[in-house]
Amino acid sequence: MAYKKPLPKPNSDTRPFWDGCRDHELRFQRCKECGHVRWPPSIICPRCYSTETEWIVSDGKGRVYSFVVYHVAFHPAFKDELPYVTAIVELPEGPHLLTNIVECDTSEVKCDMPVEVIWEDINEEFSLPKFKPASDN
Amino acid sequence: MNLKHLRDKYSIVGVGYTAQGNVPNRTALSFHVEACANAIKDAGLKKEDIDGLMCYRHFEPLGNDTEITPYLIAQYLGIKPRIISQEANCARGHLVNAISLLEAGFCKYVLITYADNAFSGERTFLKEATHGEPVDDNGVFGEFGLVANYALAARRAMHVFDTGPETWMEVAVSQRKWANLNPIAMMNKKLLSYEEYNDARWLIEPFRIYDACPVSDGGRAYIVTSTERAGDLKQKPVSIMGAGQHNPSVDIHQSDFMEGPTGAKEAGKTAFNMAGISIDDIDACQIYDCFTYTVEITLQDYGFFGPGEGKDWFKGGRTAPGGELPVNTSGGLLSEAYFMGLTPLTEGVMQLMNRCGDRQLGPKTKTKEPEIILCSDNGGVFQSNSTVILRRP
Repeated sequence: MAYKKPLPKPNSDTRPFWDGCRDHELRFQRCKECGHVRWPPSIICPRCYSTETEWIVSDGKGRVYSFVVYHVAFHPAFKDELPYVTAIVELPEGPHLLTNIVECDTSEVKCDMPVEVIWEDINEEFSLPKFKPASDN
Repeated sequence: MNLKHLRDKYSIVGVGYTAQGNVPNRTALSFHVEACANAIKDAGLKKEDIDGLMCYRHFEPLGNDTEITPYLIAQYLGIKPRIISQEANCARGHLVNAISLLEAGFCKYVLITYADNAFSGERTFLKEATHGEPVDDNGVFGEFGLVANYALAARRAMHVFDTGPETWMEVAVSQRKWANLNPIAMMNKKLLSYEEYNDARWLIEPFRIYDACPVSDGGRAYIVTSTERAGDLKQKPVSIMGAGQHNPSVDIHQSDFMEGPTGAKEAGKTAFNMAGISIDDIDACQIYDCFTYTVEITLQDYGFFGPGEGKDWFKGGRTAPGGELPVNTSGGLLSEAYFMGLTPLTEGVMQLMNRCGDRQLGPKTKTKEPEIILCSDNGGVFQSNSTVILRRP
């Protein structure tokens, strides 16, 4: 069945992130000058303005910073998913990533809950980083 | 920053209303023009006096409407202002910018306006969900727009301190009581009980439908000038005792201010410093209330109560008619009508002009007769805050 939900639209800033996702890697920029790991991607470090950057890979173990439960579909392709959770996951490296919490009843999701990345391959080009309750918890 | 020299130097001298709520077959432009013309008339000015025109941003035109620009509004008003402007992303600097233009001498009378045909045009504020594909990558995860954005902030606040539907219910119910006294409020004839709030369906949890403001048709405008010039005009002016702005700017998803302090803290500090008063001097508040939680966190950031103390603070109708500190006396965005920051600000002005009929603060509503009213405006998702302290002359 064709994938009906919105697809990522990589631009020149976000392309390396989405390319990483296709390889099941959460790639973030780390400033070579001050060590700050930034998200969203940018040409300069927002802390020190250095353009010297390296890409690191997060192991994808984080915690739920905040979340909401959708009870109304604002897009037809999400109607069958209701109720579903969108969340901000805080990764230990720093970035706050918008994502979904899956493999977990919506009533079980809590702030600060440990979660780990799980990949959803939606087509040849894109895999989406979603999160499920941490297995070692 | 010392702004004390600006205290009470500028005043609001006229307010323009239009028919509002459900007003079909009207363009957004028609509401702008009507609101502006009414504000000019209300102030007792001639249209030629207006040398500054500022519009709030406009969302995508609905139906066959054209794009709203300040050029268009000026053309339809038959004026050629020296300065015009319109922000694009809900940065709520209009009043502070107007004061700056007046103080610098570029303008003498600045007209500020907002209008939309959002109710009849069925605006959802979810362009990405209703007119095709999302404009950012948030929709990839099923995250569409403002309700979820504010709900994320509210959920985080629930985790950090003691808040939630029990607190927000007080906000929704108290404001509805004010709307029940306001004949032009969209919810004027609709009562709201605690039971109805609690039984309401979830919109995006933790928000129920009563936590979110509806959209409206209509427009609102007001005029700012120097207090000196205001003395010659039709209305008794309401002076701007204090004003402040702050723009935390960070997208809510990466922000560290979901549970506050939002921009209200810094903007409030600037405004209170300029006014030379404290929150104890405030007689009533008109707080931007796109969602119930926005009212709680804004008042909390101003210092009316500590984190999580809102639950008890709001209880017993403190902010409702007859209460100790009236808040959003028109019904606010939640129950009167949605005109961005003009809903709260113009209500503050009208209350101090003593023009509010059955909802007038004072003996009529068993509240204190107001001398000083605190107003807030909030843009983006807590990315911009504007705080204004108004005073009866």
